[in-house]
Amino acid sequence: MAREDRKRRQPDGDEAADEGERRGRRDKRPKEEKPAPPLPSEIRNKEKRSEVYAKLKREKKAQKRRLGRERGQAAQRAAELGEEVPEKQVPRTIENTREPDETVCRPDDQELFAGNDADEFNAVLKQVVTPKVLITTCRFNSGRGPAFIKELMQVIPNAQYVNRGTYDLKKIVEYANNREFTSVMVVHTNRREPDALLIINLPEGPTAHFKLSKLVLRKDIKNHGNPTSHKPELVLNNFTTRLGHRVGRMIQSLFPQDPNFRGRRVVTFHNQRDYIFFRHHRYIFEEKEKKIVSKDKKSKGETKTEKQINCRLQECGPRFTLKLLTLQHGTFDTKSGEYEWVHKPDLDTSRRRFFL
Amino acid sequence: MPRITSVESPGCPPLRAITTDILGLIKVVEARARPAGVAKVVETWGEPDASRAILVASLADRAVDPVLAVARKNGVVELLNPLNGDALAVVKSSRTDQTVGAVENDPLVALHLFRKHAPDLTTLGTFLACTEKGKASVRSVAKENTVSDSDVGPSSTWEVCNKGTLQFSSVDVGENYAMFGGNGMEVNLWDITSCSKMWSAKSPRANNVGIFTKPWFTAGTFLCKDDHRKIVACTNNHQVRLYDTASQRRPVVSVDFRESPIKAVVGDPDGHTVYIGTGTGDLASFDMRTGKLLGCYVGKCSGSIRSIVRHPDLPLIASCGLDSYLRIWDTNTRQPLSAVYLKQHLTTVVIDSHFSAEESEETKSKQPDSSMVAEAAVRREKKKKKNVLVEEAEEGTQMVDPDDCDAEAVRKDKKKKKKKKKKKKKTVIEDDEETQMVDLDEDDAETVRKAKKKKKNRRVAEDEEGTQMAGLNDSDAEIYAPKRIKSESGERSKGTKKKSKKQQVA
Repeated sequence: MAREDRKRRQPDGDEAADEGERRGRRDKRPKEEKPAPPLPSEIRNKEKRSEVYAKLKREKKAQKRRLGRERGQAAQRAAELGEEVPEKQVPRTIENTREPDETVCRPDDQELFAGNDADEFNAVLKQVVTPKVLITTCRFNSGRGPAFIKELMQVIPNAQYVNRGTYDLKKIVEYANNREFTSVMVVHTNRREPDALLIINLPEGPTAHFKLSKLVLRKDIKNHGNPTSHKPELVLNNFTTRLGHRVGRMIQSLFPQDPNFRGRRVVTFHNQRDYIFFRHHRYIFEEKEKKIVSKDKKSKGETKTEKQINCRLQECGPRFTLKLLTLQHGTFDTKSGEYEWVHKPDLDTSRRRFFL
Repeated sequence: MPRITSVESPGCPPLRAITTDILGLIKVVEARARPAGVAKVVETWGEPDASRAILVASLADRAVDPVLAVARKNGVVELLNPLNGDALAVVKSSRTDQTVGAVENDPLVALHLFRKHAPDLTTLGTFLACTEKGKASVRSVAKENTVSDSDVGPSSTWEVCNKGTLQFSSVDVGENYAMFGGNGMEVNLWDITSCSKMWSAKSPRANNVGIFTKPWFTAGTFLCKDDHRKIVACTNNHQVRLYDTASQRRPVVSVDFRESPIKAVVGDPDGHTVYIGTGTGDLASFDMRTGKLLGCYVGKCSGSIRSIVRHPDLPLIASCGLDSYLRIWDTNTRQPLSAVYLKQHLTTVVIDSHFSAEESEETKSKQPDSSMVAEAAVRREKKKKKNVLVEEAEEGTQMVDPDDCDAEAVRKDKKKKKKKKKKKKKTVIEDDEETQMVDLDEDDAETVRKAKKKKKNRRVAEDEEGTQMAGLNDSDAEIYAPKRIKSESGERSKGTKKKSKKQQVA
C-alpha cells in the first residue's frame, strides 16, 4: 500500500525531488528504508486523519488546477504562434460512453420512415386530426393531484378533465373513443402525491406507463411566469432508439402540430439516461441598449449606445420527471395485454445501457 | 442493485429462418458455417406497406419444392418460393366475401400449408385458412391461372364456431386433424378430410368460490408427432393445459405460468416438451407429462412473443415478437445463441430446415439443379437414420468446445448420478398423477376404471418406447428423465458425425 502511495505522488514537483534523493540513498543502503507516510485511512486518530486527508485533498485540487492552467496556457501559446491548437479534452460521461445499440434510429433508414407512416400517431402528426386529450385521475384523487392536473390542463391545449368516479379505465377508454378523443391521460396518486402517469393513445393504442417523480408545482418555482393560452412549441431531446422514437412520437401526438410562435411558449421533454425531464418555459427576445464607455482619453466621458438582443427565459412550471415502465400494444388491458416493451431486471446489464 | 448477466453466446449452427412483419416485409435470416455463429439478414422481400401487413405465414418445409404461404391484412393469401422470394400465386382468401369491409371485419388469423400435398402438374399447394369469425376453408391453388382465384381439387368450407372469436388453429403432423380455439370458444378438434367435429373441450369446474372462468384460448398445439389425441392449449389467464381427447373432455394437466397471457406454444419432437411464450416476453419450456416447468429462457427479451418455432433436427428454437428481435435459443442449455434486430414488429417466424452450405449456394444460383436435389434427398435419408440414434447428443457436442469436453464429461457424470435419484422421484410423481386423475373422475366408477386402464396402457406404451430408445442409445434406465448429453454417446456421435461429413464432401 505504502509503495503504491509513493508512486501516486511521484509527479509532484517537490515530492519528485525528494523521492530521487531517497532513491539514491536506497541504492546505497537498501535496508535502511524510510517509512512512507501512512495513508489517511490507516491513521487511527480521527482528528489527525481528517487533517491529513484535508491536506491531501487540497494538494490534489491544486494540482488539478495547475494542470488545467498549463493546458490553457499551452493552447494560448500555440494559437499565438499559429500552431495547431491541441484538442480540448472532453470529459467522459455515462452518456457519451453509452453502449452501442443496434436499435438506434439512423436518418437514412427507409424502413423507419415507412414504419412511421404506418403507425398510430401518423394521423395526428400529419395534422389530419387535431389532438384532443382527456385527463382523468385514479379513483381517489387528493393532495397535489388536483393542482397538478390544473397545471397540466394549461400545458396541453385542447385538454378536458373528466371526473373518474368509480368507472373502470376500460369504460373510460370506450367513452373517450366514442367522443373522438385522441389520447387519454391518467394521473395516478399515491399517498396524496402524483406518482404515475398513464398515456393511452386512441383508438388503437399503444399505452405508455410512466413513473412520475420530482414534481414541482408552479407556485413552488421561484420567479415563475404564468403561461398564456397560445399553442406551445415542443422540444423533444435525445429520443434516439426505436423505442425512444415511438415514445417521442406518442408525446408529440398530445400537442397540436401548429405552434403559435407569438405565444413564445416552449414545452420541453428532455431525455437523459432514460429519464424524461419535463419543463415549461416562456422566452423573450429583448432589445437592449448597452452603453459602451470608450476608453480613449480624448473622448473622455463620451458614451456610445449599442443595440443588443438578449434572450431571457422564464419557467412556468410544472416541473417533473418521467421514467418509462411499460409500453403496451393496444389500449389499456392488464389481463390480456401484449407488451411492446417491459422493463425487466435482467435488462439492466450495465449502467451504460439505455433504452430510449 | 441490478442483477448482471453476461451471457456468452456460443453462436448458432447453420440455419435459415424466414420472418414476416407488420409492414408486409419478409426477411430471411441466415447463419452460415463460415463466419461461425453470426446470424444476419440476407434478403428482404416486398415493399413496406402497412395495408399489406402479414398476419400469419406457413411453410411447407420440404427438400424439394418448398412453398411459403403468407396471409396478408387485405385478405390475400400469397404463395411464394422461400428460396428466392418469387411469387407463385396470389389468392383471395374467400370467394364469397368480395366486399372490402368483409375482409377488414373478418381477417385471417390462422393459416396452414399442407406439407403432404406436394406440388404436381396442376396444383401448387393446399392450405387451410381460418378467419376470426370461425370460417375455416381448405383450398388448393391451381398452377395455370395463378392470378384468378379458382380452385382445383378438394375445397371445402365450414364454420368452426358461431360465437366468439377464433384466435388460433393448429394442424397435426399427419395433417388429418385440426384444432381451433379462441376467445369465448372451447378447444375443438376437427377431422379435415370429412370436415366434422370430433371432440370439443369442456370448461373446468367452478373454483371453490363457485366462479366459472370464460374460456379464452390463445394458443395450442398437438403434443406428439404420431398421436393426434393429446392436445396442449394455452389460455389467456396464463394456464397451460393438456387435453387427452381419447379419455376426457376436461384437461388432464393444467399448470399456471406467471401473470401474463400465453401467446405462443410449440411442441418438441420428443413428444412431451412444449415451449411457451407470453405477452410480457417470457419464454419457458414445460414437460407436459408431469406439468413441470423445465426452465425459463432468460436473455433480455422485453416484448410480447408472437411466434415460436422448433427446428426439426437441431435442438434449437426461434422466437420472435413485438420487440422486433428474432432470437435463437439452444433447447438443451436454454442459452440464447443469437439475436437479430429486424426493425419491425414481427408476426411469424418459420425455419427452413433443409438449409446447409450447399443449399445456400443453390439459392445464390437460383436454379434448382436436379442432381443437387437428389443429393439433398439422399442426405435427408441418411440424416433420418442417424437422427434417431444421435440427434440430441450430436448437436449437444457441437456446442461444446473440444477443450471443454473433458470437464463437461466429468460434470455430466455427476449429473447422471443425480438424475438417477431424480428418476425415482419422478415415478412417484407419476403415481400421484394417476391418483389425481382418479380424483377428477370420481363421479362414476366406470370411468375410473377406464382411466386407469388408459393410464396403464399409456405407461406400457411409454415403457415400450423407452426400451426401444434404450436399445438404440445403449443407455441405462433413465429414459424418463429429460435427456441430457451423455459423454460417451456424445463422443461416439462425434465420430459418426465426422463420417457423415466426409460422405457429404465425397
